[in-house]
Amino acid sequence: MSLYVYCVSDEVTGEALAGTPGLAGAPVRLFERAGLAAVVSPFEEEPVPVTREHALAHNRVNAVVLARTTPLPFRFGTLADGERLASYLESREAALRAALAAVRGCVEMSVKLMWDAAVARRGAGAAAGGEQGGAPAPAGGGTAFLLAKRRELLGDEDLRRRADELAAWLELRTSDLARASDVRVRPSASLVVRAAHLVARARVGEYRDRLRALRAERPDLRFLTSGPWPPYSFGSIKN
Amino acid sequence: MIDEEFAFDDEEELSLLETLDHVLDRGLVIAGEVTIAVADVDLIYLGLNVLLGSVETVNEVLGGRERRLAALRGGGAEGEEAGGR
Repeated sequence: MSLYVYCVSDEVTGEALAGTPGLAGAPVRLFERAGLAAVVSPFEEEPVPVTREHALAHNRVNAVVLARTTPLPFRFGTLADGERLASYLESREAALRAALAAVRGCVEMSVKLMWDAAVARRGAGAAAGGEQGGAPAPAGGGTAFLLAKRRELLGDEDLRRRADELAAWLELRTSDLARASDVRVRPSASLVVRAAHLVARARVGEYRDRLRALRAERPDLRFLTSGPWPPYSFGSIKN
Repeated sequence: MIDEEFAFDDEEELSLLETLDHVLDRGLVIAGEVTIAVADVDLIYLGLNVLLGSVETVNEVLGGRERRLAALRGGGAEGEEAGGR
């Protein structure tokens, strides 16, 4: 029998979890070791099927814990037998305690910025082309190809620069509210910036107001904001 | 868990997508102990795109949601169940 592992905490209590169903409706309980408590439920299948219900159950259990205290959530699909889990908690105790201290009193808020990649690319290409200035010099086939290639490369560079600027703008404007951030930038994609912010619980309202203001400032972008989440992006420790 | 303050509060698909985005590639890992199997056709369509980082999916959900949901529902019982969740 494997244990499905949802999260680890140094503050969660059994009462907080009472009546919370885990994956496949299994009862959730604490697995305590080294003064830490992993939240687990029995699970028979391996590998863990990624289904809608399982994914939501994983997050639901974490959300129940998050309502009381900030845990370190495990990645979906973490199974371990009792011995393995005990050894993990014992051997990583110091790192887990440090990670718990780093997220204590905070939640994760998520922001995704989308732009129209085609428009952004055209804009970038035009900017790169404009750099040539004046009428193009007469060019043979080979030169024309190289010039076109150069424009394309400059366009890609410009796209990356604009994507980085966008990420920097978001970071700058949220830095006073985010205790930590995890930002991923993909200039070639529509979803150009994915940011996770670690925000103190007491400042979540302020953070939402800020995001509302940023949204109003950039009607050319689409914002997808969500949260509060358990700190999925801020709980990792070195294995 | 989509932020209720914002525009997509009651979007089940988007909410699932955001959940998958958070739980599938982030979080603590006990080395070698994450084993998952993608079993649900609907999730292959929606979630695996997230897993693989094909973020165009989100834009599709935002941009052509009705068309998309129609396509999902046309895909079979799982889509129906999904819509009803």
